[in-house]
Amino acid sequence: MSHSQNKSAALMQGVIIFIYLTALTILEYFVAVAFDAVPLLIVVAIAKAALVLYYFMHIYKLNETDSDTNHDSYAYKTITNRLGLWLFLLSDSFVFAGLLVMRSNLLGLTRPELNQVLGLGVTAVLLISSFFMNRGELLMAHGDVKGFMRNTVITFILGLGFLLGVVLLEWRIAAHEGLTADFGNPVTGPVGGVFYMMTGMHAFHVFTGLIFLAVVWNNARKGLYTAEQHWGVEAAAVYWHFVDLVWIFFYPALYLIGTAVSAH
Amino acid sequence: MKKFFTSALFKGLVWQVIGFFIGASLVTGIRALMGLSTTDTFFFTEPAWVLGSFIGAISFLVGCGVTDDWIKWARGIETHDEHEEHWHGWEKFINVSFDHKVIGIQYTLIALALLAIGGTFALIFRTELAASQLQFLTTEFQLFGQNGPQLYNTLMSLHGIVMIISILLGISGIINYAVPLLIGAADMSFPRLNAFSYWIAVPAAVTLISSLFLGGFDTGWTGYPPLSSRAPVGMQMFFMGVFIAGWSSILGALNVVVTVIRMRAKGMAAMKMPIFVWASLATSIIAMTATQFIGLAFQLVMFQRLFGMGFFDPSKGGNPVLFQHLFWFYSHPAVYVFILPGLGVISELLPVFVRKPLYGYRWIAMSSIGIALVGFVVWAHHMFTSGMNEYLRVPFMYSTLLVSVPTGVKFFSWVATMWKGKISTPTPMLFVLGAIIVFLMGGLSGPPHATVSTDLHLHDTYFVVGHFHDTIFGGFVFPFFAAIYYWFPKATGRRMSEFWGKVHFWLMTPSFFVLTFGMMYVGLLGMRRRIADYDPALGLDTAHLVLTIGAFLIALSVLIFFINFFYSIKNGEKAEGNIWESRSPEWQVPSPMSLHNYPTPIEVVGEPYDYGLKDAPYTRFAPASKGKGKH
Repeated sequence: MSHSQNKSAALMQGVIIFIYLTALTILEYFVAVAFDAVPLLIVVAIAKAALVLYYFMHIYKLNETDSDTNHDSYAYKTITNRLGLWLFLLSDSFVFAGLLVMRSNLLGLTRPELNQVLGLGVTAVLLISSFFMNRGELLMAHGDVKGFMRNTVITFILGLGFLLGVVLLEWRIAAHEGLTADFGNPVTGPVGGVFYMMTGMHAFHVFTGLIFLAVVWNNARKGLYTAEQHWGVEAAAVYWHFVDLVWIFFYPALYLIGTAVSAH
Repeated sequence: MKKFFTSALFKGLVWQVIGFFIGASLVTGIRALMGLSTTDTFFFTEPAWVLGSFIGAISFLVGCGVTDDWIKWARGIETHDEHEEHWHGWEKFINVSFDHKVIGIQYTLIALALLAIGGTFALIFRTELAASQLQFLTTEFQLFGQNGPQLYNTLMSLHGIVMIISILLGISGIINYAVPLLIGAADMSFPRLNAFSYWIAVPAAVTLISSLFLGGFDTGWTGYPPLSSRAPVGMQMFFMGVFIAGWSSILGALNVVVTVIRMRAKGMAAMKMPIFVWASLATSIIAMTATQFIGLAFQLVMFQRLFGMGFFDPSKGGNPVLFQHLFWFYSHPAVYVFILPGLGVISELLPVFVRKPLYGYRWIAMSSIGIALVGFVVWAHHMFTSGMNEYLRVPFMYSTLLVSVPTGVKFFSWVATMWKGKISTPTPMLFVLGAIIVFLMGGLSGPPHATVSTDLHLHDTYFVVGHFHDTIFGGFVFPFFAAIYYWFPKATGRRMSEFWGKVHFWLMTPSFFVLTFGMMYVGLLGMRRRIADYDPALGLDTAHLVLTIGAFLIALSVLIFFINFFYSIKNGEKAEGNIWESRSPEWQVPSPMSLHNYPTPIEVVGEPYDYGLKDAPYTRFAPASKGKGKH
């Protein structure tokens, strides 16, 4: 009884956090349109990141103590693996931090002129995918393999939608409007390079995340995961949320902050 | 020979070549369809070389078999940890093994190989500098599509970067071999990742050295744009090689951090860890994070060259100084990556040979972490003359000078440890003492560079070259040799010749001082670094000749070391016991050690460096637990 209560409470929590994130994203967009207040945008991005880190990526699990001190047990290895994954994400976040440093150094308070509807659209798609990823992981933790697989498929489709939206639509539209990779001049800054580098590096991570999702989906299909032993699922979920986390900062950095400069 | 042709190393190299041709042909094919040029000076076009070398490196890894288990996991197939050794003798080292001891030796061997290659490069251009004017690297001289001075530039640049990669692999060698033994673990936390970190370095080294044959590059190891955005294709191979080697460093460091946190023996609280483990942890924290910045900086230049992106091109609104910021954000902390394990080796070995406790253990442990953290905020002291904002100069000057505080702590501890000790001087101890003195010279010649007013004069002179050779020899090369002499018996069950070890030391140390003091001397008199020739009117010919002779004597001493090393593997004097009378757990069991290190788990019951105290052991073997049969 309490088991299923826990489950529905956890699922409900995912819905609430998703509503918060959606509200913050909408707020962010209108703040950018109405006030052009950079510090406020940064605060909103940090708030969104904190929600994702805590409720979707479950960063507090790093604090878990060992229930089993046998170094060969699954429980002990999971805590070791978790530490390794988070250190990898820490390392990886230096790449994205470097890209943000590059962006602020080269472009300052200007940004490329981009299609705002598409930008908000792909952002929403990625956010919704994170919601389903979280739901899938929760169901797995309660032993519902079918539910996990269903939600992972939805996550995968949304992730693929994001990837294609950026690489096929956004890149093509941008290039059509004159924002090619080599575009840039002393007035605008190298906007073409910055835009393609940042979205490209992020898209590459989305792509690897999709492979990861496909792998855990396939292994779940083979019945390799249980409610107690599903480290692969947790890793794929945390990685997927990390990709979303990066976009929480990249979206305002590319679409919202500063004044848009056209490539014409 | 048949064993070589079926080894992972050979398979990997073959696959690297195949992968290269697949990648290069793919690009060439696409270019042909798009109506672009399909050939260039070095047959393939630059994009073909870049993608080819990248796919080549991936093919190497898949081809050599280090990723086999991961691919199985991805397909849902379970694997089992190895319980016995598949390979014997030298075959172990050219095949994939997950044993941290084998991987540590593999790292050490590739580091020594690169040390020899990088050293040879140095000897060639050092000879050219022995007298003013161009003697043999003349403008008529042609090799690999480069004339003499161009080849000089390539060799000078490659010397820098090959040595840096050699150092990174060398510290990984010591850390991989020693850390799990020192903390009483059976292996690293992630043995497959550990093997991957090693094997990725092999295609990286091949890619890096291939730049010599592809027009070379003339930027020095720093690869600053705008020069690096125009250099020949070799520049891209340099960027790609370093980028791939960076992954070795990042993943290896991550593994060390997790291992130290998760795999310590029972009772080994943080303040009871051997000091070398602290140093490894500090170095790994830097390597794991900051390395991403050099990878990013190099990627940006690669993409600027390939796609015309304007990051560092002022005509497109780019900023060349940004590259220097991104580059030095890694590359300055990187020197602490190089020296911290070396300083850890000094602190680790010193108490063994003076038979006294290490003075100020806690301070030493914290000073390593302190150096690592302060190291993150000093990078712009490389850029005082770069044209960056002037208000940045003073903060970076002070943060740089701050590094000398934790470093000074270490010196005080070393001196106080030796004070009134029963000092014996077998070869490892000689190198430890040499390291302290050489590193002191490096440390003392540092503040003039950190101070803006003097740095403006010293920047890009040979004084800088002398300074960093002192720090790197004191912080890495001497301790590296000390560690090899010290742990060689642990790895092989035999010891290296004491006599030839001492010859190595007594030949290398004075020659080295001649070399670096000579460098500082000519630098102060106006000798620019990185140039193929200098004005005879400077009057530096004699000094250059003397320091060239010094360089050759160092090479001779290293040659003696190599012969001693390889000869002793089979023919050295047997040494299976605790020959240094160390308290450390790895010496309490016979050498060489078996696959999973300790026959029974160890337990920490005392302090690590209580030398001279009776009945105060550091570790003991835990009572054998029931129901655990042998493998």
